[in-house]
Amino acid sequence: MAFDRRFLLLCAGEVLVVAVGDLVVALILQVIVLAAFLGDRRGYPVYAAGVVLFAAVLAASGTIALLGLAAALGVGYALLTLYDYRLARWAGERA
Amino acid sequence: MFRPTRTTGGIAALALALTAVTILLDNPAAALAAGSLALFLLWRGWRFNRDLRVLATSLAVEREVDRTILRQGTAATVRVRVDLTVPPGVDVRVRDLPPAVAADEGALCEPGIPTAYTIRLMAAGETAFAGNIIEASDAFFSRDLLCRRFDAPHLQVFPVGTKYAGGKGVGTREVEVDRRATLAGSGVRGFRLYNIGDDPGSIDWKISARRGTLYVREPTGLEGGGPLIVVDLPRRNDSDRETFARFSMVICDAVEGGIESHEGCSILVVTSGEVVRFLPRTEDLRKALQALEGLAPVEPRAPLYRAPGPAVLAARARLPGREGGQEGGYLAKLGSVLGAFADESISPFAVAVGKAMDQAEASEIRLYSLLRKDDASHLVQLTHEAKVRRMRVILRAPAGAGTIPGVDTVEVL
Repeated sequence: MAFDRRFLLLCAGEVLVVAVGDLVVALILQVIVLAAFLGDRRGYPVYAAGVVLFAAVLAASGTIALLGLAAALGVGYALLTLYDYRLARWAGERA
Repeated sequence: MFRPTRTTGGIAALALALTAVTILLDNPAAALAAGSLALFLLWRGWRFNRDLRVLATSLAVEREVDRTILRQGTAATVRVRVDLTVPPGVDVRVRDLPPAVAADEGALCEPGIPTAYTIRLMAAGETAFAGNIIEASDAFFSRDLLCRRFDAPHLQVFPVGTKYAGGKGVGTREVEVDRRATLAGSGVRGFRLYNIGDDPGSIDWKISARRGTLYVREPTGLEGGGPLIVVDLPRRNDSDRETFARFSMVICDAVEGGIESHEGCSILVVTSGEVVRFLPRTEDLRKALQALEGLAPVEPRAPLYRAPGPAVLAARARLPGREGGQEGGYLAKLGSVLGAFADESISPFAVAVGKAMDQAEASEIRLYSLLRKDDASHLVQLTHEAKVRRMRVILRAPAGAGTIPGVDTVEVL
């Protein structure tokens, strides 16, 4: 239930981000909202750097950057699946 | 592959909603929010994958099985301790997987806490544990990862080696079949490989599918009190050291199995016309194994015992003279002489065995013998005493050693 409340707060934060309108302010707000949403922030700077990069692309090319992001995400998930497959293969081997 | 949690589904839905807002309103802030949420899920997936790798590489399993001699169908206790490095924010449980031939599901272990569970191996042969499943989850993903690296200890399961009488293979003699033991609903003692001629109805399809070859169920037989395990010690000249060592091992295993699967068992050790040891009903495995300590082939006090007992004498005395004439007269006279002896004769061995059986209160006798070819008369007396008490007699003897009249089931030792 506690996590549901945090998810509602995340939704509220996203509404705030959209309502702000300005990209830079939205970026700062978004990083803060997601950091607040997380309990364990290991590796969060890596993610924050990725979001900053995405914001820069968005500022340069407009909302069409979402299509590029979708393609990049597809590749990312495919890579993740590949890593998971390799891990399962390695773990499944007998000693 | 990873399984998303409800939170992940919610964030994905939120990202889609924000994408719709972006398309409708052409709002760059909404596009940023949608894209960053999608990136967020990808990042969490990558982090979960790294945590899973840490878990898999740090996994260490210590497993012990309490029994060194495992017999098909008997239970064994497994003690397992799992250690692994748990990254923060990840919940981990490890399921210890029993061997593929076990009829159990294994146990869930908390890292660092020893856990005990019971397995029952249903097929004979060499086998090993199937490994472990790491059940990991964080707030966004969960995953069950199968690790097969820790399969020790390797187990050797000895077959039951049952051969039911009445079917075939025990000679031309008609042997009583205990049909109550094969009634539907009776328990299953174990499984063995399917032989041509076995009842197709007894095939266990689940085990057969798992092992890739046909296995049949073996019924438990009559349930009741603990069995009376009778050991017929061979004479010194009748068995070599290796045969007797194997014989002793099978007996110890039977006693162990009897105590674990029933409410205790009784042990009676005999040799030619002599009761060597008797341990009435016990549930203490150590006490039972102590009773079997130091058993060795003996030099019996009556090497030429050959006394089938009063019952057989009486039966012979009742034989009618089939033919008339001289032979018929002879048989009649022999019958009257035998009858006179049978009335007077008392077998101390039969009396002692009978008292032991009364004390054991068993419904089943498991007779272990190497079956000497020259004299099994004391076993005939023993079987007769058992039949008088309506006990079921299972003889376990080497293949081709023959049988004893009155035995219900012959199993290969």
